[in-house]
Amino acid sequence: MKSEYVLDAWHFLLPKEGSSTSECEDAVAENTRARRFAIADGATEGFDSRAWARLLVGRWLRIDPPAISAEDFQPLVRFLGLGLHERWNGKTLPWYAEEKAKHGSFAAFLGIQFFIQQNQLSWKAIALGDCCLVHQRGSEICAAFPISDSEDFGSNPVLVPSLGWLQEKAFAELKVLEGTAEEGDEFLLLSDAIAAWYLRNTDDSEHERGKLRSLLRRREREELEQFVRSSRHLGAMRNDDVAALRIAAVRS
Amino acid sequence: MPYAAEISRANPTCFIFLIDQSGSMADSFGMEGAGRKADFVADVVNRTLHDIVIRCTKTEEIRNYYHVAILGYGGSVQSALSGPLAGKQIVPVSEVAETPARLDVRSKKVPDGAGGLVEQQVRFPVWVDAQSNGGTPMCEALRQAKRLIEQWVSEHRNGFPPTVLHLTDGESTDGDPASIGKEILSLSTNDGATLVLNCHVSSHASSKMEYPAEASSLPDDFARTLFNISSCLPESFRKAAEQIGVKVQEGSRGFVFNGDPTSVVQFFEIGTRPANLR
Repeated sequence: MKSEYVLDAWHFLLPKEGSSTSECEDAVAENTRARRFAIADGATEGFDSRAWARLLVGRWLRIDPPAISAEDFQPLVRFLGLGLHERWNGKTLPWYAEEKAKHGSFAAFLGIQFFIQQNQLSWKAIALGDCCLVHQRGSEICAAFPISDSEDFGSNPVLVPSLGWLQEKAFAELKVLEGTAEEGDEFLLLSDAIAAWYLRNTDDSEHERGKLRSLLRRREREELEQFVRSSRHLGAMRNDDVAALRIAAVRS
Repeated sequence: MPYAAEISRANPTCFIFLIDQSGSMADSFGMEGAGRKADFVADVVNRTLHDIVIRCTKTEEIRNYYHVAILGYGGSVQSALSGPLAGKQIVPVSEVAETPARLDVRSKKVPDGAGGLVEQQVRFPVWVDAQSNGGTPMCEALRQAKRLIEQWVSEHRNGFPPTVLHLTDGESTDGDPASIGKEILSLSTNDGATLVLNCHVSSHASSKMEYPAEASSLPDDFARTLFNISSCLPESFRKAAEQIGVKVQEGSRGFVFNGDPTSVVQFFEIGTRPANLR
């Protein structure tokens, strides 16, 4: 009899060049025990987007049952948005911050929940915006969700708004995908710049993808930083915050 | 590829507003119910500065992605900024944010969350007051702008080039602006030549021409002069135009002739939306 599936997860965050770690607006949260993982990318032009991105992933990870359907996700976001705006309303802000706060925050969000039933591993993911899930089996990309073509990044995606009156329209763009996994499969949760780089189709792209997965597998933080910086300098990767979370399905 | 430089705190860009404040700006736009051109333009410039500040606001901090200069020309040529910034030439956007001349209160209709609109009192920062006197010393205004740009590009060799947003309602009264205009267009950073956008507004209800790609259909020499000192819109500017429903094509110049109030609003929106903000 085969042993139980175990999910092995590790993530890497790097702010855009010219920004400090405390200014990074990408956020990652993981709960291996609950088999639940999330990534978010706060919009540069939003107000306090870092806080909104962190709030989304942090609370999505803790809610039960998991908010992996549009019906469960929407009330959670409404509640979190109200809380965020209440927090700002309680502060004395300069005129420009007060004005900007009225426009609210925005973030791309992607969450994935894994299930083990009868020794089978399955997953369900929910996404709004351009954070991307890549399901990888060896060198084959089994699925890329919700965007599968590198060219489709950067076209003003609909994001998760903190303002209630903007949420209804945005929720119409929520995407859900489910699938099954096998031993050795890898799942990458990527924010948009590194996802666009990962999914591009160039002569050396498979080689480069393999290099990235290897660095993530070996948890080589410094080498990963070098790798991303060099890709940015070569113009292959946009200078934006980078979040990459790798989850591997292994047998204990 | 030009006009691809990232705009960041370490690598900012620059906007230079050149505003005609001659006596004729006290006239209306030439349509029923339209107010004075000077008042309307001052409002649009203040609204544009407001939007620029908001774009650079990160929580409670302002990031200096932009430097801003506002020159007014009429009875004289000088900085059009009022209040604590009066007389200052190029100022970083954080200084613009911190020191408006005053904060007015105005009414604004905002969505009520139930599909309707509700009137809300909002604060309206004012940096520029309406002015209208004297002639149209366009050449001197362009000369002062050139001096500012020369200095700026020498200090920001890798920056996204400066954008000049020039608004006028009439012909120059101190000579032909063609040659000084060309000199400005020749000033560049490593990312490309200075962008010059010209918007001419009319006191008469005339047919407007927006962002033409060729001069052949322009009505007179003055229009052709302004066309010739207007830059071809880079792709990101064309995209900004398309996003607000303005028709442009490859080769479109940053030029409006006989513009109406809507043209003025769109002109400042398009001209202050360079992409690549980081």
